[in-house]
Amino acid sequence: MLSIKDLKVNIEDKAILRGLNLDIKPGEIHAIMGPNGSGKSTLANVLAGREEYEVTDGSVTFEGEDLLDMDVDERAQKGVFLAFQYPVEIPGVSTATFLKSAVNAVREARGEEELKSIDMLKLLREKTAMVGMDQKFLQRSLNEGFSGGEKKRNEMLQMALLEPKLAVLDETDSGLDIDALKIVADVVNQMRDANRSFLIVTHYQRLLNYIVPDHVHVLVNGRIVKSGDKSLALKLEDQGYDWVKGEAALAE
Amino acid sequence: MSTATLQDRYAEVKDRFRSLFNVFEGALNGHRDQPMHTLRKAGIERLDVMDFPTRRDENWKYTSLNQMLRLPLQDSYQVEVDAATIDGLAIPGLDAARIVLVNGLLQTELSDLDKIPEGMELLPVDQALEDEAVKGQISEMLDAAVKNDHNPFSALNVAFAKNGFVLKVKAKAVVEKPVHIIHLAAPTGEPVFINPLLLVLTGAHSEGAVVETYDALPGADQAYFSNILTRVHVGVNAHFHHYRIQNDSAAATVVSNIEAHQQQDSTFSSYLVDLGGDVVRNNLSTILQGQNTMTNYYGVYLAKGKQHIDNQTFIDHALPHCGSNELYKGILDDRGRGVFNGKVIVRQDAQKTNAFQQNSSLVLSKTAEMDTKPQLEIFADDVRCSHGATIGQLDESSVFYLRSRGLSDLQARQLLQQAFLFDVVENMPLEAVKDYAEQLIEKKLK
Ligand SMILES: Nc1ncnc2c1ncn2[C@@H]1O[C@H](COP(=O)(O)OP(=O)(O)OP(=O)(O)O)[C@@H](O)[C@H]1O
Ligand SMILES: [Mg+2]
Repeated sequence: MLSIKDLKVNIEDKAILRGLNLDIKPGEIHAIMGPNGSGKSTLANVLAGREEYEVTDGSVTFEGEDLLDMDVDERAQKGVFLAFQYPVEIPGVSTATFLKSAVNAVREARGEEELKSIDMLKLLREKTAMVGMDQKFLQRSLNEGFSGGEKKRNEMLQMALLEPKLAVLDETDSGLDIDALKIVADVVNQMRDANRSFLIVTHYQRLLNYIVPDHVHVLVNGRIVKSGDKSLALKLEDQGYDWVKGEAALAE
Repeated sequence: MSTATLQDRYAEVKDRFRSLFNVFEGALNGHRDQPMHTLRKAGIERLDVMDFPTRRDENWKYTSLNQMLRLPLQDSYQVEVDAATIDGLAIPGLDAARIVLVNGLLQTELSDLDKIPEGMELLPVDQALEDEAVKGQISEMLDAAVKNDHNPFSALNVAFAKNGFVLKVKAKAVVEKPVHIIHLAAPTGEPVFINPLLLVLTGAHSEGAVVETYDALPGADQAYFSNILTRVHVGVNAHFHHYRIQNDSAAATVVSNIEAHQQQDSTFSSYLVDLGGDVVRNNLSTILQGQNTMTNYYGVYLAKGKQHIDNQTFIDHALPHCGSNELYKGILDDRGRGVFNGKVIVRQDAQKTNAFQQNSSLVLSKTAEMDTKPQLEIFADDVRCSHGATIGQLDESSVFYLRSRGLSDLQARQLLQQAFLFDVVENMPLEAVKDYAEQLIEKKLK
């Protein structure tokens, strides 16, 4: 599904990702953990196509195609989704209008017809219920004045509506209360299937109690320095990052 | 350019207006001794003492009307338009009496003259000038328009206006249905001079609205000059809304002088949407004649191609306990240009004034330009006033967010531009007019 090879990324001439390798197969859930500033969001944003990031080396292939060559919207239309760590607020654009445009844009790219209003309403009703969001949020401006948790829920709503093949969740669990956390896990678990993959960036083992990952990676200083199964997350929670950092330093 | 040449050039322009007036006057036979005629003559004679504005005048620094003034303007004449065309210009869902003016001339057949809503009355200006009940006020209003010392255009309107109207809202009448005046520019092959004139008189404790739309028929791509004069007198505790959605052809020059006078406890709200025109200049001002009034100015401008849209607003707070609220937003793209000059004076006696003003613009191309000048002059100490002006671009992280959900770059930018302008339009209380304005904006952004 996704294959990242020796990816090097700069921001304003500063090397942030320094040779990152990652392979995600259909149906797999990968978790990425790592200290603040190690490059997790950078990776997520590069996958989504943010332009400020300069890819200096390496490749990213998504379903056999060069992902880095695709426009931002093309990536979304082909099934890459990023749940942002900090979703932007867009005053004046109603959440409902935005969601409808997004659903139809992705449908159109897939050669499907625009949804009829009544079907769209049904879909919105179903998915807002799925993420535990009140319908009244749909009438509000996109993310404007939403609490941190409400913004994250809105990200999950978008994921549920767009049904991506690869969903990247950048700290969707941060700042969530326990009920909201369970909902995020629920949505992921409900959407989990043999053809859909997830890349979950998190600082906390807590989320991984509910979403059991197939692989856990540790990103330090722009590189994946350790990979393992779900037990690695437990060990990190227990012992922090120092021991992996130490191992990584030895390896260099 | 030397002064002499300018004077010569404007002398020539004035002479052209004078001879145009002579032709018009010649055709008036029989109406020459009517009171309107005296006012018309005073209007054209105003050119003897007033000059056309030049860019050396501070308030005309960015806007030149020279291109239009150089045209051999012709007086407008009847052009046939069918009912289907007019139906196409109606505002969907708006229950209103329609008055149709083509090139400034009333189309009686196409107008609902006999369906003016109860509580309102619509009179031709010349008739109103002979009506005992209103003639005093109307001739004062026209006289004041002639004496406008900022520009000669309102005087010219009085001189040339063909089918000017007086809209009366009776005292205590709360009229929900608005009157919709459809102004249509139809092709004539010549640059025509169109002078829409509307005088509004609202009685005490009344409520009403007028919606004016300006459109051009396809083919009306010759230059024309739409010289609008609107004066509104809002009575004690009366509330009046004036909507104007201007979607003229890209070859039009539009100048408007809109002035409101407000009695105590009254509200005047102006909604101006400027989408069309080549050069557009709006002078909007309010004079407060009583305490505890509220004045709302909402404006939208969207200039593409080489359109130029200039809004000058003025609110004179001379009395205490009055409020004003002004929100103008616009988008300048391609070589489009915008000007906003919003003047608010809060005089020494105007304690407890609440004055808010905001002008925000998006400048989307390197060759587009916006000049904004909020002028808040406060001489009273116990007041709440704020103003702000911003000029910026679309927020790229918002564009990215929308695109990351599959919207194309174009779609994302359109949606953000719409949102930016709808922020103003959503203040229109008439839902159908709001929807209509939004549709036109959406169409123009495509
Ligand atoms: N736009 C930017 N300009 C300059 N530096 C940036 C920019 N974006 C990120 N960085 C830097 O890149 C490094 C990696 O940032 P990134 O956001 O990827 O970290 P992260 O692993 O997601 O951290 P956190 O756990 O705090 O979210 C940091 O040092 C950050 O300051
Ligand atoms: Mg991060």
